[in-house]
Amino acid sequence: MEFKGDSVEDSRHGYFMEQALLMGEKALQSGETPVGCVLVHNDQIVGFGMNDTNRSMNGTRHAEFIAIAEMLQTHPRSALQSTDLYVTVEPCVMCASALKQYRIRSVYFGCANDRFGGTGGVLSLHSDPSIDPSYPVYGGLFEKEAIMLLRRFYIQENEKAPNPRPKKNRELNTRFENDEAPPTW
Amino acid sequence: MDVEKTIRGLKPLEGQVVPIRTVQETRPQEEFGDAFVAEVKVKSASKVIKAIDTAFPKDPSLPLSHLRRFARREMLPPRLRAAIESQSVPLAAPTQTIFVLISPPLPDITTLKALLTPFAPNPAPAATNDLPTTNETPDEASHSDTSTNNIQIHPIKIPLAPPFNTTQAETWTKTLWPVVFNPAAPRSTVAPPPQTLKRAQESIEPRAGYYLSLARKVAEEAEQSGLGRGVGAVIVDPAIEEEITEAAYEAGYDTTTEWDEAVLAVAGDARYSRSEAGASSQAQLHPGVAPNPASKTYNADIEGGPELHALMRAVELVARWRREHDRLDGVPALTPTADPSKPELEQPELSALESYFLSRHRPGTSTNISNPPQSPSSPLKRKHDDANPESALTIDPSADPSQTQLHHPPPPAPPPSTVLLADSSTPATTPAASRIRTRSQGGYLCTDLDVYLSHEPCLCCSMGMLLSRFRSVIFPRRGRLGTGGLSSEPVVGPVADELEQAGEADASAVDRQDERGYYGLHWRKELNWRALGFEFVEDGDGDVESEAEVPVFHA
Repeated sequence: MEFKGDSVEDSRHGYFMEQALLMGEKALQSGETPVGCVLVHNDQIVGFGMNDTNRSMNGTRHAEFIAIAEMLQTHPRSALQSTDLYVTVEPCVMCASALKQYRIRSVYFGCANDRFGGTGGVLSLHSDPSIDPSYPVYGGLFEKEAIMLLRRFYIQENEKAPNPRPKKNRELNTRFENDEAPPTW
Repeated sequence: MDVEKTIRGLKPLEGQVVPIRTVQETRPQEEFGDAFVAEVKVKSASKVIKAIDTAFPKDPSLPLSHLRRFARREMLPPRLRAAIESQSVPLAAPTQTIFVLISPPLPDITTLKALLTPFAPNPAPAATNDLPTTNETPDEASHSDTSTNNIQIHPIKIPLAPPFNTTQAETWTKTLWPVVFNPAAPRSTVAPPPQTLKRAQESIEPRAGYYLSLARKVAEEAEQSGLGRGVGAVIVDPAIEEEITEAAYEAGYDTTTEWDEAVLAVAGDARYSRSEAGASSQAQLHPGVAPNPASKTYNADIEGGPELHALMRAVELVARWRREHDRLDGVPALTPTADPSKPELEQPELSALESYFLSRHRPGTSTNISNPPQSPSSPLKRKHDDANPESALTIDPSADPSQTQLHHPPPPAPPPSTVLLADSSTPATTPAASRIRTRSQGGYLCTDLDVYLSHEPCLCCSMGMLLSRFRSVIFPRRGRLGTGGLSSEPVVGPVADELEQAGEADASAVDRQDERGYYGLHWRKELNWRALGFEFVEDGDGDVESEAEVPVFHA
């Protein structure tokens, strides 16, 4: 998606992606892989999500599921058909399928996910034929900010790992090459 | 329900465990691609490579190191050599030439010609007194003889994946393009290493029929409760299985009566159990009605969500148990959440089978959860030689620092204990023997565990299975679903004349089956995590039109 920030519509998308980035920031502060998202229904944020796999000890608790759970406290499932997702990193294969089953209206993401991505990164479940309708996906919104969140996470030492890899000499890379592959999670 | 009696009364499924092939194995036709070959001067070889690599960047996801970059004329496959020679102009006799491969992603042919023209061999008539000199530059060459240096570009087919063995390498070398077979190159991206697959299959075979029978019982319970569709999941620890087998071998008796000892958790589908926006759940709307009327059709609005599918619920039961027990262990929670916007996965009250298997883990009596497990020493001897194959094969384990946690040092391994062989009907007298390893005992997600399912899991659950790091996933072939994420090819159908007799209705069913996506998600080269996939082919399955009668839904 071309995001220029020079129209009302663009600034609207930008606002919601900024909220998703704030959720990603929160995930980073909590020691989670920094991925955040918001669900937007009738211009209102109805669900916030951040990756929760470490705390919950459940590898499937991705931001998208957390946000959907919050939304369903106040909305029926059918409301997802008129709801958009803003997420900092392309949804993984699991979430891409879940969003299709939930019939999300559309998905806006920051950076691509070339290891697990389910909406073009590895598979294209959003548009593959299935018993649920396809949904449109727009990537590249605040891409650099989303990548920087991930870089800040991966430069940390993982104290929980049995043999933490010393990363003292690593410097945070703040450069962006022309077509550099974004880091993945 | 007398759970003990139900479990003892389960009849194992009779049949065979069959590995699910990977999509890399079932779609070999995708492994060939278009490429170009051009004849250039030998002396320019390194310049040619540099020019090509600079002008046309490679696709990092498509490693082509099995293809030779150059071939001498006598190395060309005969048919290619004949085709090239029929089109080529005679060359200046002393000019040494070599053939270079231009591999995908393919450049525009005009650009390619322009790039390679300076390196083209000189044709015979124009080149007789213009032999290439060693210090000639491409520019000089093109200036000196642009009109006659005509590069020939020949289209060819190349194998995109490295060969499996020397025979394949030789065949491709003779028919397509010279190929190198490297026995050390990991083929794990294509398919699991045969010895890994074989070992897992041998460990799964003896009790798979029982576990799948239990999965169907759990499915039946889910359906009869009205809380979900008839889908069930059973999580098993192969390390405990091995323990039982060894102990029983020493004692010299049959182990099949203790088949359920290695079951860590079971869960049924609960898609109708969730209340949304404070309204009644589908189960509450139809109290006492089973199966739930919602299951007659597929209406997305009342399908709950994939986190309520059997596999996802089973994974969450293990996680929840671990969260509770790590708290009891005194292990500080990673990040206590006081954030109301981050609710736990809402779970319905556990069914009889679900709570039976989960409460069995609890040390002491099944109700006394305040009695902490006697950690860190586990009574189970952990076997790590059968570890998730992926832990050794991960493309880049550093990609996610949290993922490296699976390499916790193994807990102390005391000698085999008879605890596991205690009569499971008397849990109150069983010493603290937790089947699920706590975090402090090295338990991490579902690493090295197996999951048995009554049906093929949907794409979402299939990926959830990978993200949970299961070792293997097993489901009955009769449980295949068009929405599933694991099958990699159609079941071999009836022979042609049978198909004709079956008539149009059945033929269209076969068509539908062919239209489904065969994702083979358990072992995809593109994904960072992989698991072993197996189908259980029940005796007599050859006569069953497996997918025709199954309603359409996500399991």
